[in-house]
Amino acid sequence: MARIDPEVIESVSPGPLGSKSLVSKITPFQAFSILVGFGTAFLILYPFLRVLIRLFWVDGSFNFEPFRNVVELPNLGQLIFNTFALVIAGGGLALIIGFVLAWFNERTDARVGALTDILPLLPFIMPVIAAAAGWVIIGAPRAGYFNYYIREVLELVGIHMKEGPFDIFTWYGLIFVYALYLIPYPYLLISAGLRNLDPSLEEQARVCGAGLRRTLWRVTLPNVWPNIAGSALIVATIGFAMISVPILIGTGAEIEVISTRIVRLLNFTYPPRMAEAVGLSVVVLVVLVGIWRLQARLIRGGRFATIGGRAARGRRIELGKWRWVARSVTFSYVFLALIAPLYGLLITTLNGFWSPKTRWGQLTLDHFRTVLWFDQKTRDSLFNSVYLGLVGATIGMIIAATISTYVQRSTGKASTFIDGVAKLPAAVSGLILAVGFVLAFAGPPFRWHGTLLILLLAFIATHMPSGSIAADGAASQVGHSLLEASYVSGASESRTFWRISFPLMLPGLVAGWSLLFVRYAGDFQASAILSSTRNQTAGKKIIEIYEMGSYAYLAALAMGLTAISALIIGVTFALTRKRATISVV
Amino acid sequence: MEDIVVEVRNLQKTFKRADGTQVKAVDDVSLSVGSGECIVLLGPSGCGKTTLLRSIAGLEKPEDGEILINGETMFSGNRNLEVPPQNRALSMIFQSYALWPHMTAFDNVAFPLRSRKIPKGEVAEKVKQTLELVGVGELAEQHPSDMSGGQQQRVALARALVAGDDLVLLDEPLSNVDAKVRDQLRRELVEMQREINFSAIYVTHDQIEAMELADRIAVMELGRIVQLGPPREIYERPSTRYVANFIGTVNELPGTVRDITLDGNVTVSTELGDVQSLGEEGLREGSEVVLIFRPERCSISSQQVNGGHCWRGSVNTSSFFGSHTEHQIIMTKQISFVVWQADPKQFSYNEDVWVTVEPTSIRSLPSETHEVVDESH
Repeated sequence: MARIDPEVIESVSPGPLGSKSLVSKITPFQAFSILVGFGTAFLILYPFLRVLIRLFWVDGSFNFEPFRNVVELPNLGQLIFNTFALVIAGGGLALIIGFVLAWFNERTDARVGALTDILPLLPFIMPVIAAAAGWVIIGAPRAGYFNYYIREVLELVGIHMKEGPFDIFTWYGLIFVYALYLIPYPYLLISAGLRNLDPSLEEQARVCGAGLRRTLWRVTLPNVWPNIAGSALIVATIGFAMISVPILIGTGAEIEVISTRIVRLLNFTYPPRMAEAVGLSVVVLVVLVGIWRLQARLIRGGRFATIGGRAARGRRIELGKWRWVARSVTFSYVFLALIAPLYGLLITTLNGFWSPKTRWGQLTLDHFRTVLWFDQKTRDSLFNSVYLGLVGATIGMIIAATISTYVQRSTGKASTFIDGVAKLPAAVSGLILAVGFVLAFAGPPFRWHGTLLILLLAFIATHMPSGSIAADGAASQVGHSLLEASYVSGASESRTFWRISFPLMLPGLVAGWSLLFVRYAGDFQASAILSSTRNQTAGKKIIEIYEMGSYAYLAALAMGLTAISALIIGVTFALTRKRATISVV
Repeated sequence: MEDIVVEVRNLQKTFKRADGTQVKAVDDVSLSVGSGECIVLLGPSGCGKTTLLRSIAGLEKPEDGEILINGETMFSGNRNLEVPPQNRALSMIFQSYALWPHMTAFDNVAFPLRSRKIPKGEVAEKVKQTLELVGVGELAEQHPSDMSGGQQQRVALARALVAGDDLVLLDEPLSNVDAKVRDQLRRELVEMQREINFSAIYVTHDQIEAMELADRIAVMELGRIVQLGPPREIYERPSTRYVANFIGTVNELPGTVRDITLDGNVTVSTELGDVQSLGEEGLREGSEVVLIFRPERCSISSQQVNGGHCWRGSVNTSSFFGSHTEHQIIMTKQISFVVWQADPKQFSYNEDVWVTVEPTSIRSLPSETHEVVDESH
């Protein structure tokens, strides 16, 4: 291993040879954490188990019917092929581009301060469902704005096209959009890996005469391998769970994937074909578990140079004129992922209907107002989503923070169990969990059918993994020695948490909160099953409107949702910017 | 009458590695620290010194043994008793300073007092006093990230001293600091300890630090205390080869015991001839031993000298070190000696010289390196 700075060991591994160093008696603080942990576990496991039992356990014996039904599904082979092809192609593309963007920013002089650091993360502001809607509007072969503009330009040079040149409703269109919205994840992870890479490794290679490409291939890549593998796992997990993109774009392309089929089975057939839906979900679960184990084994087998602590940043590779080429790649990404679809949504809303021939002189906010303000139902759905987002993200992050702090400090079965359960929903389709919620809480004795409460609980359960990962990151920022120094100064566990852990975790927690907000507000999966006509969410409404074909309406709602998300993220970012640069000694 | 501040009895702490093997980090260690005494735990990485310190602090839970502070039991394996670190009357300085980055120096130092619910006015005064004492009074409103390493360590020291605990634990506090600052801080630590008269347990791998700070040094290896005693004793009368090599530089000459007299004179036959030396108990005729002597206890000259042992060798290197000159002399193919002289005269490569040393400066030690002597005071 490369130089290991002792302070980093303290924050990475809790004590010599991996033992955790705190007292074993249960304090009130720990009791509270355990309560929260098990409560959350119940919230996640109980619905899931209800689903499994309902399907696989009939009249006291194991029932294989659902598997048989799955196997007998029409076009099953095509379905599975489509899903895998999209995830592999889109995910693979995302990994490569994510790596390139991360490398440009961390290792070359293409970086422009904090601007290029956050650029690839901007797409997080926009709920994926809104982005997908935007891409439909700009990428449709005939009426899509992009295509229209390109055709107009081509006319000038005498080329006449009736439609195209691009068509979002194709394989490549779908892969493109998949990749666009998966890129931020590998970017984040690989950036972190490159940042922590001891620069002397690369410098050593260069001193020995290795050229740029060779250094990259032989030194850099192998050492960020864990980050790449981790990104691959996240990309696969999110890829399999992608639903708004396949619904909005895949249907038009007549490419069906597992998640859209699950929606169809649950929502658009009567009676709902739950058995097959769950069966399909189990297929995804098995694949993901397989990838997890593969990743774990790959990482264990390697030797990776880790962190040089407070080491000075190595010299960045100088690209000279090529700097601007690199920067334009980053800018292009943001343009495509955020600005382009946003433009589509905005113009359509201001225009009043979807047409590439924009009536520039007649742009108005009227339609925006009509849709969002005057239409009761739409206003309510937006309000519900924002409300659920604010309340839910807060509760979700508090739970995540409590669990992460507890898990960081204790070993033992309870701790591993709670940690695992908090990440479990990542592997199970949100739709299935939502079905579980129906089974578990909609009827007696709870009777929460159609309420905001059941939506809230389902959101908390479904999106727990994001919050948990963010909270884990925040908690690991607080080195063990900082906590230990507090204990030996005479502070109790609870005092240590409130005075030391929490303030230091806060920036990370707030960042996690804002990302959770965007997820809750833009949620479609749990909403598809659990929202009633009384309590609709924006995500559900968007799909409804899409089915009806009213694109201006769709655009307005998607714009509204995005605007609110952007506002919330902007505000929280501004508030925490100062504190975010604390270096934890 | 001497007060015992810390007493450790038969402490046992084992770690399990990821692959399941057990490692005895602290292996049946006993130790006591008196009032106002500074004990240094000295040894290389992995010898158990930090684990021992952390166990005393309550940050590690041992499997067995007892720890008492000021006569009160803090840990007992038998009685299944464990007092958490926040309830032990001690303070600690960490290797990485562990200053809380979101608090000013003032708040950092005030934290232990506030945790003990000391009234506000008293807190302010004590904090100011202590910051002045360690020499960073003017940094009270600064954040740790705005200070140099040396200043941060002083704040950490202030935080440890402010509550007036009798016992201060120090975990390699100077290893992250520059050499010049380290010397300065070390001197100040000695002065402060003398002035305030707290007991200290200090962990380090640096034997120079150990010599300067310690009233007694506990040399540790593989979880056990190999030798415990004042610095001079450790230096002049190391009990094993390991200790001899760990503290300072030492010359080694292997051989077999030929004769032992009742008053400890050991005659050893070696490649360089018979050698008289002083030895410990436990050596018998025929024992394999290693003769050791310090580089500053021997001398070098161009001619043979009478008195003591005088051996002929040839010069390998001869370097000027400022305060002394170091000569490396090759005696035989396997044996070479290091000689330190105050005389700045340097010899040339391959020159023939004579190395002289008195029998009273030579000690015989058993030749196994890892003989462990379990000593408790």
